[in-house]
Amino acid sequence: MLFRREFKRNLRGLIIWSIIIAGIIFLYLGIFPSMAKQQQDMDNLMNAVPEGMQKAFGMDRLSLGTLLGFYGIEIHLMTTLLGSIYAALLASGIVAKEQNEKTAEFLLALPVSRPTIIVHKWLAAMANVLLFNAVIVAASFAGFQLAHGEDLSYKAFFLLELAVLMMHLTFAGIAFLFSAVARRTRSIVSMSLGTVFIMYFLSVAAGLSDRLSWLKYVTPFKYADSAQIITERSFHPLYAGIMAIAIAGCFLASYWYYNKKDIAV
Amino acid sequence: MKPIVNIEGLTKTYGKRRGISGITFAIEEGEVFGFIGPNGAGKSTTIRTLLNIIFPTSGSASIFGKDVVTQSLDIRRQIGYLPSEVFYYDDMKVVDLLRFAAAFHRCRNEKRIADLAGRLDLDLNRKIEDLSFGNRKKVGIAQALLHEPKLLILDEPTGGLDPLMQNTFFELLKEERAKGTTIFFSSHILSEVQRMCDRVAIIKDGSLIKVESVENLMRNNLRHITLTARQPDEIDLSAIAGIVRRERIGTTHLKLLYDGDMKAFVQGIAGCPFTDILIEEPSLDEIFLHYYTN
Repeated sequence: MLFRREFKRNLRGLIIWSIIIAGIIFLYLGIFPSMAKQQQDMDNLMNAVPEGMQKAFGMDRLSLGTLLGFYGIEIHLMTTLLGSIYAALLASGIVAKEQNEKTAEFLLALPVSRPTIIVHKWLAAMANVLLFNAVIVAASFAGFQLAHGEDLSYKAFFLLELAVLMMHLTFAGIAFLFSAVARRTRSIVSMSLGTVFIMYFLSVAAGLSDRLSWLKYVTPFKYADSAQIITERSFHPLYAGIMAIAIAGCFLASYWYYNKKDIAV
Repeated sequence: MKPIVNIEGLTKTYGKRRGISGITFAIEEGEVFGFIGPNGAGKSTTIRTLLNIIFPTSGSASIFGKDVVTQSLDIRRQIGYLPSEVFYYDDMKVVDLLRFAAAFHRCRNEKRIADLAGRLDLDLNRKIEDLSFGNRKKVGIAQALLHEPKLLILDEPTGGLDPLMQNTFFELLKEERAKGTTIFFSSHILSEVQRMCDRVAIIKDGSLIKVESVENLMRNNLRHITLTARQPDEIDLSAIAGIVRRERIGTTHLKLLYDGDMKAFVQGIAGCPFTDILIEEPSLDEIFLHYYTN
């Protein structure tokens, strides 16, 4: 009941974001063939980029001339950044909206327990993120055909997408926790977005400077590092573990706190 | 007989801000119980604690003999609640919202929905976001009554309703009451409490001042006394104890609010130069104001 309601309410957002991300993937993969033809020029162009920047964006290990390399540099940035923004907006809205629009009082006076509410809302958030990622994978596959697919490692691609999915879920979890814990929910959306951007910049910083490389343990953007996953064809279990724990932890904390929270209306 | 609602020492503080402190009263089955106080006195805080939307700092309350914190879900199955400000999901149609609420109560009763909508003059196919404040309130009333709850909790229910609709609303309440429904009714408008309620609890600054039957409140010694005299300012009442308020109306009338023994007053006034005396029962508003200002 609640899940259905939440799902329906967020469906429009899901469709819009799906269209945007699918469009971007098609667009990029559509121009790949013509870019690949001028591989020599591309490599020259890439070498012209300062070394630090190359490292920060994984260009030192990936080649724009290969399909997966191109995907890892150009499209991966979009799926991670845009996807995380979507996940954060979605998850923070799902709880915070109820309080902002003061409908929480109505919902809580109905015979429905708080655990049910929080579980349904969590499931709705997770389902949306999952569907969004399904769209990313489907659009990428279609796009690969469009790009006259050379052979590419599907294992690497799936590992990469698994990492992206977990990363989105992590941001969704953090945003969900924020909105479940906050007393005043007005600033929650900006806080959640802020977290995404800060994490993104930390990941860039971690790539730029060796002294800051420890930051790679802090930011989910580094957990889903395309250069590493594509070249090594492995998704670091430590990173997967950290994200799994973060997602579960956010859920448990939200669940625990929401059950004893005063809902201010 | 066990009371339907039993509140004992209920306290809620928000940090340093006062909420309610040590509220204690009980509501019997089948009663229409009024809850009166000025805005910000703690009426909504009390009600929200009963519904477990907020948690008590100390003290306890039970409804149907069940604890409002630990058995809230059970309690809410048999409660109809009308908040003072009604906020619903804007994107829903009225009928969808009513069905949504009914589904949680496991009571899908299209006839009752149509019935209530007809009585309240409510267009079921409009979107919530297009409704005026008064119309939203009507949706709230329908939603609270829909599943025929054992206890109705109404927080300032008449705000936003036009007088005609208020009549319909009170009729609906009477019908519910005839079915044995207990009604808990908060308001700052005393005349409507006077009209509906058996007993009232008066709350001020977060504390309970008095629980009294409406009948008793009306019957206590507080009286309005209007004296007509040629020189009202010259009337000396200093010997009479219990005059709460004294004001001159026009040039010939002296209006008094008196709380005390009537016989003493009549004896005290006997020597004064007045030409006429009018003794009236005060309205509940004045009684309330009396308790409120003291």
